[in-house]
Amino acid sequence: MAEIDELESRLDQLTPEDFEQGLRVFREKLRGAEASYLQTCVHCGLCAEACHYFRTDGELESIPAYKLDQVVSVFKRHFTTMGKLAPGLAGARSFDRAMARSWVETIFGRCSLCGRCSLNCTTGIHIPVILRAARGALVEMGLVPSDLQATVTASLEKGNNMGIAREDWIETVEWIEDELRTAVGDPEARIPIDKIGARVLFTVNPREPKFFPLTLQASATVFHAAGEDWTLASEGWDLTNYGLFTGNTHEAGVIAENLYKSMERLGCKVLVIGECGHGFAAARWEGPQWLRRENAFEIVSVLELMETYIREGRIQVDPSRHLDPVTLHDPCNLVRHGGVSEPQRAILRRTVANFIEMSPNRAENFCCGGGGGQLAMGRFKAKRLQAGRMKADQIRKTGAKTVVAPCHNCIDQLMELNKEYKLGVAIKTVAEMVADALVLNPPNAH
Amino acid sequence: MMNLLHIGVLLTGAWSLLALTALVIRARAYGKLEYFTPAAGNPMAGVAYAFGPGMSPTAKESAREHLPTYFGGVGYHLGIFASLAYLVLLVAGVGFGGFLLRVVQALTLLGALCGASLLIKRILTPHLRGLSCPDDYVANLLTTGFAGLAFAAAVSPRLQPAFFGEAAVLLSYMPLGKIKHCFFFFTTRYYMGAHFGRRGTFPPRA
Repeated sequence: MAEIDELESRLDQLTPEDFEQGLRVFREKLRGAEASYLQTCVHCGLCAEACHYFRTDGELESIPAYKLDQVVSVFKRHFTTMGKLAPGLAGARSFDRAMARSWVETIFGRCSLCGRCSLNCTTGIHIPVILRAARGALVEMGLVPSDLQATVTASLEKGNNMGIAREDWIETVEWIEDELRTAVGDPEARIPIDKIGARVLFTVNPREPKFFPLTLQASATVFHAAGEDWTLASEGWDLTNYGLFTGNTHEAGVIAENLYKSMERLGCKVLVIGECGHGFAAARWEGPQWLRRENAFEIVSVLELMETYIREGRIQVDPSRHLDPVTLHDPCNLVRHGGVSEPQRAILRRTVANFIEMSPNRAENFCCGGGGGQLAMGRFKAKRLQAGRMKADQIRKTGAKTVVAPCHNCIDQLMELNKEYKLGVAIKTVAEMVADALVLNPPNAH
Repeated sequence: MMNLLHIGVLLTGAWSLLALTALVIRARAYGKLEYFTPAAGNPMAGVAYAFGPGMSPTAKESAREHLPTYFGGVGYHLGIFASLAYLVLLVAGVGFGGFLLRVVQALTLLGALCGASLLIKRILTPHLRGLSCPDDYVANLLTTGFAGLAFAAAVSPRLQPAFFGEAAVLLSYMPLGKIKHCFFFFTTRYYMGAHFGRRGTFPPRA
């Protein structure tokens, strides 16, 4: 309630200068592609069922074309001749208080920026790009939900989105290292921190040291088994970047740079992004764009790395350790926006005995509902859980006992969906599945 | 009278072409995205997919789940293109008949019927009504009327003046409303295809 009051209060305080500033920021985010997208919607409405929000609430405001139109109508009114001359005919509307409120409710509240609508758009409009630009304008006007912004601020001020202190991080890693030694039966097993010149710098979602240390241990177990030359960083280790969701590219760039600086400081060759959809999209695809610079190192998902280990025989797995049916969730930022769809499948086909695809899958997957910063915006929780019904239904139809999700945001949402829709499934990362199936010290090991 | 209508069509056609081109140039003037990230896939393969298989019902759920609308849209656009071609041939004074004329008659009739059905759908479907602005209705009426009058003129040459008059109105309006997607469709789909191609999402790998 406090959050709602806070946004309403800010809306009431907006001055004409705030609106001008918002429009200026929005305009600055547009390039030729976006200017084209903004002029192409024909209101055919065929995008409606592509959206998990519309599929689950059936409301006009949840249709992607409607959400887009909130922005398009403002663009027409303020940036096109026809919109200025005949706004009524063109469907052009001023950027005023009511429209700003509508932007907040639709663009933050009814969209996870999953991009499924883009693939299903008749004309091919990449809608999330436009909505993210609009979010950036709202941030500039102080209209970002405060809990989402708090996550960004924590990253900027503390170096990670959960504000974990350096000594706590190192202590946790050392504790996990002890557990690793016991688990693999090798007193020499290590989780290196700040190893200069290591080939791989592995980055982590702060939820792992904070709440799911076994996930980090699983990744460490796989690296150990593969004999990887790897390290964690004592600083600049958080792969998350909620700036991707607020649309504030300056703040997002600063957060992305934390990882790149770690790479440069440690002289590593490959920046490996742990299992996190938006973290991968932010570091691999958006970060260099935000910072307007190329990186001298490779950036890959840990899934790509693990798939290589299996394919090259660096690790061996025993699928009989996972006999129950297993299905895979495709995180939007990793698969549709990130282009990484096959490594996780190749891994699971070797790691589990009974792998069942959801339908639809890969780039056509349905968002779980947790993306786009939704998990960090408390005021939209009920809508988020409602929208997640699509994913819950998909999972139920597979009959799987385990859902593998290579993304912590998705895992958090899936855990809530598991409870809300009584799915009765286990939810795991790919690394956890691989670690559980690892054949340590196989007979033909070298 | 016909000479005046010919001139009217030529002038409005020139206006339409110039204005649409100017709009596209103006959109491009927003700037080109400079890439600092290495590509994971081939942008042009993505473009080819976006303009080819990516538009088919087998690849696109929105088409698959709305086959009547999808084919209605295809028929509508076939009718519009046939009407435009017919207009160009008439203005150029190229006479034809027989099978070709029957094809024009069939396609323009199909286009008019499909356009009318999409308009009815827009009026009757609450969600589509909610999405629509006056431009959506004006654009449909003009293009459906264009295809309908093309059919009428192809059946009865006496109706050619009406077809020419309708064409002049349509061509005048094209750059002003959503019909400008006749140009922006190509740039938008190009950008979208290149984006997903670059990221390795298009074409699908499995």
